Amino acid sequence: MLEAFEILTTSGVVLWSKSYAPVGAHVINSLINDVFIEEKVVPSATGVSPAFKKEKYTLKWKRVKEFDLIFVAVYQSLLHLGWIDKLLENISTIFIDLYRDQVKGNRARIQNYRFDQYFEQQVRELEDNSGGFAEQYEAETEKKDPLVSSDNGGPPPPPVPGLVKAQPRAVLAGATSDEGTPPATPDTSRSSTPVKGHLLTAKAGPGGRVSRRARKAANSSANASSGDETSRKGKPAKAPAKKMRRWDASGMADEDDGEILDYSAPADEGEVTAPAVEAVSEGDMGRRTGKGQFVLKELGEEVQSILDQADADKAKSTESSGVLGSGFNAVGGFFRNIVGGKVLTESDLEKPLKAMEEHLLKKNVAREAAVRLCDGVKREMVGKKTGNFQSADAALQVAMESSLRNILTPTSSLDLLREINAVTAPTTKSQTPRPYVMSIVGVNGVGKSTNLSKICYFLLQNKYRVLVAACDTFRSGAVEQLRVHVDRLKELSVRENAGDVEIYQKGYGKDAANVAKDAVDYAAAQKFDVVLIDTAGRRHNDQRLMSSLEKFAKFANPDKIFMVGEALVGTDSVMQARNFNQAFGTGRNLDGFIISKCDTVGDMVGTLVSMVHATGIPIVFLGVGQHYGDLRGLSVPWAVSLLMK
Amino acid sequence: MSSKAGWDSVTGIATLLFDGNLVAIAIAIIFTFGVPITLHLIFFQAVASPPSSNFLLLGPSGSGKTAFTTLLEAKSSPASKKSQTTHTSQRSTLVTVNLPPDVPTASNRYRSVNDPSLKEAARNPIKYRVRDTPGHGKLRVSQGLSELQAMAQSKDIKTRLRGIVFMVDTAALVDEVTLRDTATYLHDVLLVLQKRAKNGSSSKRTTEIPVLVAANKQDLFTALPPGSVKEKLEAEIDRIRKSKNKGLLDASADSTMYDDEEILGNDDQEAFSFKLLEHEVGVKVEVVGGAVKGDSQEEYGSGVRRWEEWVGMCLK
Repeated sequence: MLEAFEILTTSGVVLWSKSYAPVGAHVINSLINDVFIEEKVVPSATGVSPAFKKEKYTLKWKRVKEFDLIFVAVYQSLLHLGWIDKLLENISTIFIDLYRDQVKGNRARIQNYRFDQYFEQQVRELEDNSGGFAEQYEAETEKKDPLVSSDNGGPPPPPVPGLVKAQPRAVLAGATSDEGTPPATPDTSRSSTPVKGHLLTAKAGPGGRVSRRARKAANSSANASSGDETSRKGKPAKAPAKKMRRWDASGMADEDDGEILDYSAPADEGEVTAPAVEAVSEGDMGRRTGKGQFVLKELGEEVQSILDQADADKAKSTESSGVLGSGFNAVGGFFRNIVGGKVLTESDLEKPLKAMEEHLLKKNVAREAAVRLCDGVKREMVGKKTGNFQSADAALQVAMESSLRNILTPTSSLDLLREINAVTAPTTKSQTPRPYVMSIVGVNGVGKSTNLSKICYFLLQNKYRVLVAACDTFRSGAVEQLRVHVDRLKELSVRENAGDVEIYQKGYGKDAANVAKDAVDYAAAQKFDVVLIDTAGRRHNDQRLMSSLEKFAKFANPDKIFMVGEALVGTDSVMQARNFNQAFGTGRNLDGFIISKCDTVGDMVGTLVSMVHATGIPIVFLGVGQHYGDLRGLSVPWAVSLLMK
Repeated sequence: MSSKAGWDSVTGIATLLFDGNLVAIAIAIIFTFGVPITLHLIFFQAVASPPSSNFLLLGPSGSGKTAFTTLLEAKSSPASKKSQTTHTSQRSTLVTVNLPPDVPTASNRYRSVNDPSLKEAARNPIKYRVRDTPGHGKLRVSQGLSELQAMAQSKDIKTRLRGIVFMVDTAALVDEVTLRDTATYLHDVLLVLQKRAKNGSSSKRTTEIPVLVAANKQDLFTALPPGSVKEKLEAEIDRIRKSKNKGLLDASADSTMYDDEEILGNDDQEAFSFKLLEHEVGVKVEVVGGAVKGDSQEEYGSGVRRWEEWVGMCLK
């Protein structure tokens, strides 16, 4: 069942919402954060509109760029509601058609949108139209639903109505009647059960009636049910009944036969009377609309006309691109391209986007990342109007720049010193001080030890006591290499009156995870501030070597795991970042990238983008030279300007 | 003459119009007086000049910026829906809102209650504009801080910035990570203001931009009181300031223009406080508690009353 439906603006205000069960605000917030802002989750495209899963819910949405609106439907992931796509499509069309002016106006955010009845009507109609098998499936899943959701113990399940008794009934009305009776005789069972309820409650009534009307139109031959209904409905049905009695009275002797025939087999005689009854009741319904009782019949027509109109418009727009139309458009488009104020279409963007993609590839951005960036920009730009005296290319340039900036800007800025201080000298008394553990991983030869030494030097300058743990127990000479670094750093720190550094090593052949754990324990005992763990280089596609990282992460439990990547590497960077990110088991990811050898690539710093694109993990440091001091933080404007140059 | 004049031919009409005909005179009068008036009416309505007082709403995500904006908007227009849910914003918006007539502004704070000019103000409330910005970490720099920079540097009187409202979620501030995030953002904002104050003082006196730290969600049980919020933020900003001082340089530092990495406040070893900042740099920071939601027993929107008073004091 549908849990909630919301219409919100990109500025974050909910214009209209309808919820059948309480859904926390964080569900939709995480959709906005993960999909729209951070683009962390690539939405799985099933059906027309994309889907996003959060907790036990599936969210489907539709963005209308022209009005900056987002339509979001939330339903339980267990259910496969095929009509959600159609619902999103229809609701967005209807809503925009009805409230076009209000949404554009400056009171859009505080307007009271009376949209409930339109929405109800659509849900009902689509639920009914979803076909036989879908309906059956739905009924099944609905039966399942209470069991499963009570097992979960999460938020209160929808079919246990506490205070909101009226609403679920209104929605379930159609489906529950199906559920209760065998599927062999759907029509008769339907008409017998809901009538009582509908006549009593005004709210649930109209919706059911419309659906029944639709069904009536489909199979008008089933007049047993229709006759039943109309006789209950009121006075107009009594007129034919009176006639019958008069007819009975004409012959007393024949009365018995006639009566029996009349009630037991309505098929032969009812065929004559039923159409007349039908006609009367229909007119009656039309007249009653003024009271508001049957207002939904009119609503359905209104909604249908809106949808038809939208379809017709769409068809017209596709048709009009004939020879003459395209010629005119081409000329107009040419001028618009110079003057600006042109509404961009996909074909306008195709060429400049291709050029943009080439440009990015030249900057050493991996193809995958470049394609995704371009797609994102295209999605954003299609349907937008260019500014005054702005060509499509210039508009694209601006959009790409902001897109790059967005991808490179970290979600939360990393202040390493601040974090170290928070751990080693906590302000609250509940936390005990402990050493801050950082570990560095990466492919062979990218400069893990060098960058570790650079970070070490940076920390020493800030007067920390640092322990360097040599956990590369595999490659010969690795420990000695690190020892040389540490000796030099010791020398430097004595000369500069900086911090204190020591090396922790257990030789070769030992298990790296155990050595790391011992090093952390040793550092805690000796009151070191920071532990830097160097690991063996490993190929990211070697399953055997990568699997040991999970144990390593569990044993050493580092506060930060940084991955070193070369700026030189091209397309492979995406796979490197992805594989390393997944190597630490569930619930543990990389915390940042260090991009080394940035001084060797000039302005081809595409690796930055590729790595962040693949994982959504920020870049923390850049290595820009041979010396200990050649470590830099990332400056987003700098990187973007290099990439766009 | 009469043979030529008439409404049936072109020359006839022309002759009539240039004649001393009464109809022609009437048409001319209507034309000459009517056109300017209609033009004025059309354009005056269409291009009503926006109020020149702007306020910028900053703060981390989830602190209640959008909720506050919609509350102000709903308050300033009758017959709108009262309770509204909000989600994470993706882009900034500019809304025009009214100052409630019973909130005093800086210019008439000494007026008597019976002053007739106050009645005038009640009939024609003062308008100001609020710009709501997204607080998400990725959008902060591109939409929040850049907006602040543009508005603070702007010479145009139309976009002049009267004040900054920095929203803080006091209930979440107990959490170390949230506090650090909030303080970092506030630090960056204050740094921009400080740079502006220092640069401006050399050429000519720029009007100062006061900052209100709106301690939101005071209605919640776990909320910290405004005094405690102030202390926590000051202590955290002090720590950030120290670690910024020792941090690494940016990658852009050695290639392009070497932008002097400034620190907030003065270089001396004194602990940071908002008072010191006001004293040394001239950036005024106030911490005032309030609540956007949870004012059921009182009048609608009473939780933001004190913030509106602050806004009133910033308006001339």
